Amino acid sequence: MTFPSLLASAVAPPLFSPPTPHRRRPHRRERLGMKTLRLMTVGGTIAYRALFNWTTPGMFIGTLLVGPLFQLLFFAYLGRQLQVADDRFYIVGNAVLTASLACVFGGTMAVANERRYGTLGHVLLSPRSRTAIFWGRVIPYAGNGLLIAVVTLTAGALLLGLRIPVSALPGLLLAMAAGSLACGFFGLTLGALGLRFRDVWVVSNVAVALLLLLTGVNVPAAGLPGWMVTVGNALPITHAAEAARRLAAGDGLAAAAPALGQELLVGAGYAAAAVILLKIFEVESRRRASLDAL
Amino acid sequence: MGSEYAIEAEDLRRTYRARTGWLRPRRTEVEAVRGVSFTVGRGELFGLLGPNGAGKTTTIKLLNTLLIPTSGMARVCGHDVEKETREVRRRIGYVFGGDRGLYDRLSALDNLRYFAELYGVAPRDQKRRIAELLDLVGLAGREGERVEGYSRGMRQRLHIARGLLHAPDVLFLDEPSIGVDPVAARELRRTVADLASTGTTVLLTTHYMAEADELCDRIAVIADGQIQALGTPAELRRRADGRRVVEVEAYGVPESAVDAVRDLPGVRETAVEARGALQLLTVHSDAHVDVQSDVLRELAGIRLGRVDSREPTLEDAYVAIVSAS
Ligand SMILES: Nc1ncnc2c1ncn2[C@@H]1O[C@H](COP(=O)(O)OP(=O)(O)OP(=O)(O)O)[C@@H](O)[C@H]1O
Ligand SMILES: [Mg+2]
Repeated sequence: MTFPSLLASAVAPPLFSPPTPHRRRPHRRERLGMKTLRLMTVGGTIAYRALFNWTTPGMFIGTLLVGPLFQLLFFAYLGRQLQVADDRFYIVGNAVLTASLACVFGGTMAVANERRYGTLGHVLLSPRSRTAIFWGRVIPYAGNGLLIAVVTLTAGALLLGLRIPVSALPGLLLAMAAGSLACGFFGLTLGALGLRFRDVWVVSNVAVALLLLLTGVNVPAAGLPGWMVTVGNALPITHAAEAARRLAAGDGLAAAAPALGQELLVGAGYAAAAVILLKIFEVESRRRASLDAL
Repeated sequence: MGSEYAIEAEDLRRTYRARTGWLRPRRTEVEAVRGVSFTVGRGELFGLLGPNGAGKTTTIKLLNTLLIPTSGMARVCGHDVEKETREVRRRIGYVFGGDRGLYDRLSALDNLRYFAELYGVAPRDQKRRIAELLDLVGLAGREGERVEGYSRGMRQRLHIARGLLHAPDVLFLDEPSIGVDPVAARELRRTVADLASTGTTVLLTTHYMAEADELCDRIAVIADGQIQALGTPAELRRRADGRRVVEVEAYGVPESAVDAVRDLPGVRETAVEARGALQLLTVHSDAHVDVQSDVLRELAGIRLGRVDSREPTLEDAYVAIVSAS
């Protein structure tokens, strides 16, 4: 045995050894924060690959990129025909909306697919924060949604000849990111229902259709009955689409800021709702033994 | 730290309520666990044996916080399983036999990486720990493959690796050797014994009596949600003292013949187990009566294989305990 390998085997840790202590012990709160951040990002990314059904190139391009682009074109041409609103209204609104498919279904899959694999029990045995685990899962879907929105907006604008001021681009990106994030938390809220109800996919399907109708993306809010507008105001995308339209029209960030703020508020509301529902249904599952009974 | 016991259960009860039917709902209630009390010392290897539906898995789920007891109390390392869930979860590992419970679309490595995050393995230890465990369960070299292509035994090995990720103080093993080949099962037994000898407390359920006999310091036999017997394997074996066992291999034994054997003087229990084409008839009798010739007379005209008369084993003791309940 050579000397270095002897040394290596002498310091090799035994199988069930405690972790070696750190040299500089960072502040406890600081370490906890880093760990939580890691759980959200690293954990969220692995969970995305584990639970999202549409990650194959074919599914991704077909379902999430090409499909929504044709939907955008459909409404834009319909709009031209009916002369309800101009191209910008349809292109920008629909581009923001395209994020919703990936986000709503992704958020639903992030919880409901655990049932499919029978992994939920093992996840719930984790001593770590449910909030960090499940919020972390939303991040990749929101990023996914943002990517889709950017691609659709670019393609739509090029195909239909819409000019957008370059100065509006950072703001537009922000609006689409806010919409995607809010939509991801909305999807997570629906997914949380999947802990309690077997047929949660019905809810997600209805939700996607409702977003098309109620967010004012294709039917201007003025043309909807009052209660629909009220519901729409509580849905993700509604305010992000409005902000994006203002920005694309060159109104500037200040004009778009209130709508942007509202979108973030809606997103925060769903983020809180998701955590509360997950908590309630987890407690209930322990009482009713509903996890594996479904 | 806290308690001298790793596991304490006091009069644990759990009732499942289910509603079936939608238009005319019917309520059904199953009392799965009915007053179970026991303690497991630190570093002890404790077995839970019992027939299907006896309440073993339910008992484990009560102890590992997945279910709340209907009544009664349990503590793991001194922490209440109902209220101090986080403290309990930090200290326990759970291995559950079966094909499910893994992310099929991910590789074994990514499955372990994810659960290492969830179970709080420090980031700088994760890589080493996962490599060790892959090696331990014999999946090293295959860890990059998607789990959907894994055989049943490979999945089971991955379950075991996951349960050990965070080096838990208390390990719940619910039929860990199911679907694992004999050589791997032997390695698994050695791993479990090693874990117990290095201070891990293990609660094991199994249907393999030899496994329980070899591994467990103490065994509880549970049937109908209640503990029927509790003791060391040697103590339990003594339950079958004063008995003799006759085993007959037969082809096509009618129910009437079994009943006739059951009614023979000196016979205590008779069990029939189908083994492919043949049936294995196990007859327990008082040790001082030789029932073999009487049994063979009742089976006259039936094609027979091997006939054997022997001392009782743990399995026989188990059969005696369960059929007496
Ligand atoms: N989620 C559930 N809902 C309703 N009843 C259940 C549920 N889980 C278990 N039961 C019932 O509780 C009883 C005990 O089941 P349990 O799974 O604890 O048995 P077990 O001893 O683990 O059996 P096995 O050896 O087959 O694994 C059974 O009658 C079973 O049908
Ligand atoms: Mg079981």
